[in-house]
Amino acid sequence: MHKYIIKRLLYMIPVLLGVAFLVFAILSLTPGDPGSIILGITAKPEDIAALNAEFGYDKPFLVRFFNYIGDLVLHFDLGTSYQSRQPVIEDIMARFPNTLILTIFSMSIASILGISLGIVSAVRQYSVLDHTCVVVALIFASIPGFWLGLMLMLLFSLKLHWLPSYGAGSLKHFILPTLTVCMSSAAGLLRLTRSAMLETIRQEYIRTAKAKGASQKRIIWKHALRNALLPVVTTLGTSFGASLGGAIIAETVFAMPGMGTLITTAIRQKDIPVVMGATLFLATLFSLIILLVDVLYAFIDPRIKAKYQNGGRSRE
Amino acid sequence: MGKEILEVKNLTIQYRTDLETVYAVNGISFSLKEGETLGLVGETGAGKTTAALGIMGLLPERTAVIPKGEVKFDGKDLLKLSEQEMQKIRGSKMSMIFQDPMTALNPVLPVGKQIGEALYLHNEENLTNSQIEEKVEETLELVGIPKERKVEYPYQFSGGMRQRVVIAIALICNPGLLIADEPTTALDVTIQAQILTMICNLQRKYGTSVIMITHDLGVVAETCDKVAIMYAGEVVEYGTLRDIFTGDRHHPYTEGLFGSIPSLTGDSRRLHPIEGLMPDPTKKPEGCWFAPRCGKCTEKCKKQVPPVYEKDGHQIRCHLFDEQDTEEVQ
Repeated sequence: MHKYIIKRLLYMIPVLLGVAFLVFAILSLTPGDPGSIILGITAKPEDIAALNAEFGYDKPFLVRFFNYIGDLVLHFDLGTSYQSRQPVIEDIMARFPNTLILTIFSMSIASILGISLGIVSAVRQYSVLDHTCVVVALIFASIPGFWLGLMLMLLFSLKLHWLPSYGAGSLKHFILPTLTVCMSSAAGLLRLTRSAMLETIRQEYIRTAKAKGASQKRIIWKHALRNALLPVVTTLGTSFGASLGGAIIAETVFAMPGMGTLITTAIRQKDIPVVMGATLFLATLFSLIILLVDVLYAFIDPRIKAKYQNGGRSRE
Repeated sequence: MGKEILEVKNLTIQYRTDLETVYAVNGISFSLKEGETLGLVGETGAGKTTAALGIMGLLPERTAVIPKGEVKFDGKDLLKLSEQEMQKIRGSKMSMIFQDPMTALNPVLPVGKQIGEALYLHNEENLTNSQIEEKVEETLELVGIPKERKVEYPYQFSGGMRQRVVIAIALICNPGLLIADEPTTALDVTIQAQILTMICNLQRKYGTSVIMITHDLGVVAETCDKVAIMYAGEVVEYGTLRDIFTGDRHHPYTEGLFGSIPSLTGDSRRLHPIEGLMPDPTKKPEGCWFAPRCGKCTEKCKKQVPPVYEKDGHQIRCHLFDEQDTEEVQ
């Protein structure tokens, strides 16, 4: 198991290098340069060239890339923002807590709602409750996030004056963005849990359990749930990772300073160090979460655990 | 042979969906005494497994319907019991060995836990956890698996070993009735013999009654006291092992079944299958289900449902036996 985890951690190095190269290439090979964006179109060409030289932007692309990677690996230095002239790591640390809180809130609510309702829905298939869950889930899965965000804002901020409509000052500020993010995730998880559970309770080993005289409750909790959870855990992991960087819509609608808005603004301003730093930070987190999911698998399914312990060779 | 433990009367099971009704089991009757073995024989799709699931109360809830019939077990009609009452009987007083050992075990639980579960659920003697563990180990050794393997998971066992685990699950509470649904079909011949011998030995040891579901007449000859031949959801012939194997009157389907066994002594070059296929179970015929495939079919067979004729306990459902010395039963 330890060997497997170490192996997976080592695999992360080429993945992150690939991500870094790709993002760096896209940023550098697209038209525009940081100097002219910061100084504006009215600036003199000499000033722009001087500013670009200060950033090191006048050097060839590959030289800049290897300088960046060198700084990162040797000094753990993510560079300085072209725009704010502050270390990138400070920018990230100022924004990341907001995104993390938003993600943790929305994912916990989404998984509690989605998984529990999914199980109930599957166990009482074709009941009124099941039909309601399926229809409501379909609606929330199809509603675009920005629209839901705006509607929530309209109702709770403008009409009822219960909650603030923008910013990230207090926990109250997180309620509406959380709802915006979690409803579609919850709907997706509900549908997934329901179908996984339905498939599991039709398996023959469930009939074996029934033949032993186990009650329905026991069958669901002891026999079906663990088998049905595998696909759910996968999706939960990926959507947790994705929402760390991808809550852009909610962050934009509610003007919340988070990672998503940090990256989008930096891209517009061609603030290469910030985009690179934030992307690599999120890519590292994402890889770690996927690794965590894979390790969790081993605890859910003994067959997978055995595979890990055999160094990837299955006994079957 | 002791008292009657199971009496199935006119059991009828249908699968109903919006599109069609499948007549899976059409009024079968048989009975079983303590310590006896009944062979339920027939082709694939004859309704053997459905009948067994019907007795166990394990039919799929939404589609399966039991419009009539009676399953008397220990004097109680199982079809009238509530789900809670059935849960108390299932696993403790009657249990079932399933057909496919590769899918019948839960992949994420150690086999010891799966075997012990029935005992844990029906703990009538108030055993402590360690006593249950002891009993699990004992049962594992009984079916020929080293007790140290109880912590292993199903994927670590071969098919034959998994079937032993399935048998251990069915046996741990010493049930009065054991339904073995083709327990050896998924296994190779050498393991088949071992498993069958094992079931027979255990039966002798504990006086368990067994319903042996199979399509292998060799297995029937080795293990059974009574035989019911099933065709298209009906018992077409029912009698003692002697009646079926050495008696001189038979249902044409039974003759066909025996005729299709290749002879070891004769020099016939071809196999002799029963021509044709099982009838469509969604279309109930006017007359006999077997008529389209029967070599002795008459006009009467196509129009009129044959009753059951009985002589000295040997029952045949066929118009050909409407003779002086037979007696018609309902």
